[in-house]
Amino acid sequence: MIALSYYPGCSLRSSSDFYDISLKKVMAYYGVALKELDDWSCCGALAALMVNEGLSLALSARNIALAEGSGFHLVAPCSACYARTKTAARKIAEDKETRRMVNDALSPLSCNGNIEVKNIIEVFLEYIGIERIADSVSYDLAPIHAVAYYGCLLTRIMGISPSDDIEDPMGMDIILKALGVTVIPWQYKTECCGASSTITNGDVTAKLSGRLIKAVVRSGAQTIVTTCPLCQLNLDLITYLGEDIQPVPVLFLPEIFELAIFGKISGGARHIVSIRDIEQAIAPVKGHVR
Amino acid sequence: MPERFFLSEMEEMTGIAVSECYQCFRCTNGCPAARDMDIVPHRIIGYIISGERECVLSSAGLWACLQCAACSIRCPNGIDVARIFTVLRRMSVESGLAAQTNIHEFDTLMVESIARHGHMYELGTVMRYRLSRRELLKSYRMGIGMIKKRRIGLFPHNVADRNNIRSIIKKTGGRGK
Repeated sequence: MIALSYYPGCSLRSSSDFYDISLKKVMAYYGVALKELDDWSCCGALAALMVNEGLSLALSARNIALAEGSGFHLVAPCSACYARTKTAARKIAEDKETRRMVNDALSPLSCNGNIEVKNIIEVFLEYIGIERIADSVSYDLAPIHAVAYYGCLLTRIMGISPSDDIEDPMGMDIILKALGVTVIPWQYKTECCGASSTITNGDVTAKLSGRLIKAVVRSGAQTIVTTCPLCQLNLDLITYLGEDIQPVPVLFLPEIFELAIFGKISGGARHIVSIRDIEQAIAPVKGHVR
Repeated sequence: MPERFFLSEMEEMTGIAVSECYQCFRCTNGCPAARDMDIVPHRIIGYIISGERECVLSSAGLWACLQCAACSIRCPNGIDVARIFTVLRRMSVESGLAAQTNIHEFDTLMVESIARHGHMYELGTVMRYRLSRRELLKSYRMGIGMIKKRRIGLFPHNVADRNNIRSIIKKTGGRGK
């Protein structure tokens, strides 16, 4: 049994709670216990960073303090939570002045920044392993032609050795191939989806997410797989953003695991772009005995 | 009017060696927002070096940045351009030169939401933002679509120890009540 501290983040409590459910279901299947941080709080995402850097560090430090108390490595499925928490942990561990500042703000909590922060691609590859992933496949996913979309925050973290190739990450591609998905290579793995400009300047998200979806269609893929809740939401909202294009379903990585292991997605109804064609395209692996 | 100390002020404040820039354009070439900018990233850096403080701080382009950090990771001189943009945004608000205020307003509302709940309450924040801009009906079709699919939470989630959150925000000088 493997145990990890778990920081779901605000998106996985509201807009993308089905991502949380899917991830927990898949992790439980592999015997990975996710121990949710007790009374975790928002990392402030990019908003707090824009307003005040000290605030951004201290908000992340609160969750780091909670995780240090647990003694386990910390997993953050949301790319913004992951990037902010990882950046803060390094800065707190390396810089005495930052450590003093955040601990003064956090009191009575305290932290020293010595914690491993992982994204879910790392958890799948390092804690479960590609062989077990391939062995757990009960449904043939070859009819699913997908692109892996990492978004910008997962690998572009300044001052941190990235968990994958910065310009051409492969972790999710490798996992998807092990699950039997037909993975289509494309050039937009880390291109920006428009991030939070959806509210303040929706045209920008429409343009950037629209460009991504057009590239997916051109590549011959029928679906996008991602781990970032904001990327998923922006791409899923494309028809509401005024772009006159054919939308494509956007799945969270654990949902592909659900398809491979259980043959259906628990949060399917929560997708704005229907995923029915994807679910209907698959069948049990021939001769597979469970 | 160029200001002699703008470059050293920026370098001291950020610890980033802005003067290492040799204008290779890599930051601008990879920037997904460059076409929406009046002054593109490598020019912003160039203007910092030549001391064009007012021109930089009043640039609308600062607010087009999406913080994707493509510029920062690609800079051959290790200049964290995205962080420079973040710092410039704060300076432009403080100096009253900001070309627009709506993004700062939205970010501030998000921090206030964290102060109130400890978690981000998206619906409340978006509603407050739309109300303050008198554009309550903007993108309502998207809002209804999201509510139907439960892609936006109707009610806030509250952290139990909200006093701790408020104290963090107060002590770090962030906004919040």
